[in-house]
Amino acid sequence: MLLANNINFKRNNKTILRNINLSLPPNKIIHLSGKNGIGKTTLLKILTNILEPEIGEIFWNGKNIKKNPFEFYKNTTFIMDQQSSNNNLTVKENIFFWCKLFYSKIKPHEIESILEILQLNNYQNSHVNNLSYGEIKKLELSRLIIERKKLWVLDEPYIGLDEKSVELINETIKNHAELGGMIIFTSHTNPEIINIEKLNLDNNAYF
Amino acid sequence: MRIFSSISALFKREFQITYRNFSDLMSIFIFFLLAVIIFVFSVGPNKEIFNEIGVGIIWTLILLSNTLSLKKIFQNDFDNNNLILFHMSGLSYEIIVIIKIITIWLFFQIPFFVVIPISSILLNVDFVNIKTIFLSFLIGSPIITCITTISGSMNLLNKKNFAIGSLIIMIFSIPVIIFVVNLTNVSIEIANAQIKILLGIMFFFFAITPWVSATCIKLGLQNK
Repeated sequence: MLLANNINFKRNNKTILRNINLSLPPNKIIHLSGKNGIGKTTLLKILTNILEPEIGEIFWNGKNIKKNPFEFYKNTTFIMDQQSSNNNLTVKENIFFWCKLFYSKIKPHEIESILEILQLNNYQNSHVNNLSYGEIKKLELSRLIIERKKLWVLDEPYIGLDEKSVELINETIKNHAELGGMIIFTSHTNPEIINIEKLNLDNNAYF
Repeated sequence: MRIFSSISALFKREFQITYRNFSDLMSIFIFFLLAVIIFVFSVGPNKEIFNEIGVGIIWTLILLSNTLSLKKIFQNDFDNNNLILFHMSGLSYEIIVIIKIITIWLFFQIPFFVVIPISSILLNVDFVNIKTIFLSFLIGSPIITCITTISGSMNLLNKKNFAIGSLIIMIFSIPVIIFVVNLTNVSIEIANAQIKILLGIMFFFFAITPWVSATCIKLGLQNK
């Protein structure tokens, strides 16, 4: 379970986040929304221990993530809004790199089926810089299955995806939550997933 | 086991990326050799002058060539959040820096062992001195790599002026240059003492580089 307690964050003497509290137990999905620049990505970075809050603490299974970062990271996948795949490598090379980097137990035939589902199987040996934005995004999202972790932190996962891919991601998120996973994501659209908790940062804005 | 898998994945990735950008790597060594040739033409065909200043020219150009590879070290992985990804795989920023130091040394410094003899012939450096240059490069190149790594990580905090990174490399390299260039002109006893000083500098940079660079990366991510 992820617990954020009284998160406050300032940048250049400007308050970005104030008194943010959230709890994310198993089977729960949180949709972070709010206008541009409100601090959605900043909050995700704080929740993943990349940025340090001015005040406040974050706990993973009762332990402060600052004191036990690697135990927390063992259970967390963070898909950022920017591309993390390398343009100089092929789709397959990027996937094998992630498999090895995250010590994934995924089998080669499972990778093949992920690529097929994501309609990337014809691009396995193509360099990432030859893919479209949507295809790069789908490649990025394949990390969710490769890493197989409990907590998914997703920054704008729907951007650039076609209708079919959006449905696929919704289904994947729903299944993960049903299997005891936890998901927090930012998006400007309202995905068609039931039992989703919405946290609008506009109500917490301090400018 | 998990950590070894992540480390070997990073090494393999660095190798693949360097191999795919082979032209970048080659341009550094072409720059080095062209600069040597320009020196030969500008100083003229005086063998004795080259015998005296040849080692100094080689070391100065090694230093300048290193500043060319500076931007490559962390900037790309910082911009596309890969440093965060590596960290989330269970590697501390210090270990990531150590991996970077090793890969930079392997891919950007080791090839100098091939171009140094070529440049030594062009600059009419004595065969005995070539052996001394190799020895000094063996100790000096890890120091230069560490300084380049520190400078590359400091550049993450500085979004406007990349020239400062090159200046940092040059300033911190002055003591190294003094001792390595001097090695060819002194007696064996003094050379031994200077090698020990160089080894001391090398271990000092081995000790501080991972922590200094990791701190710069963390600060860079905080201010991104």
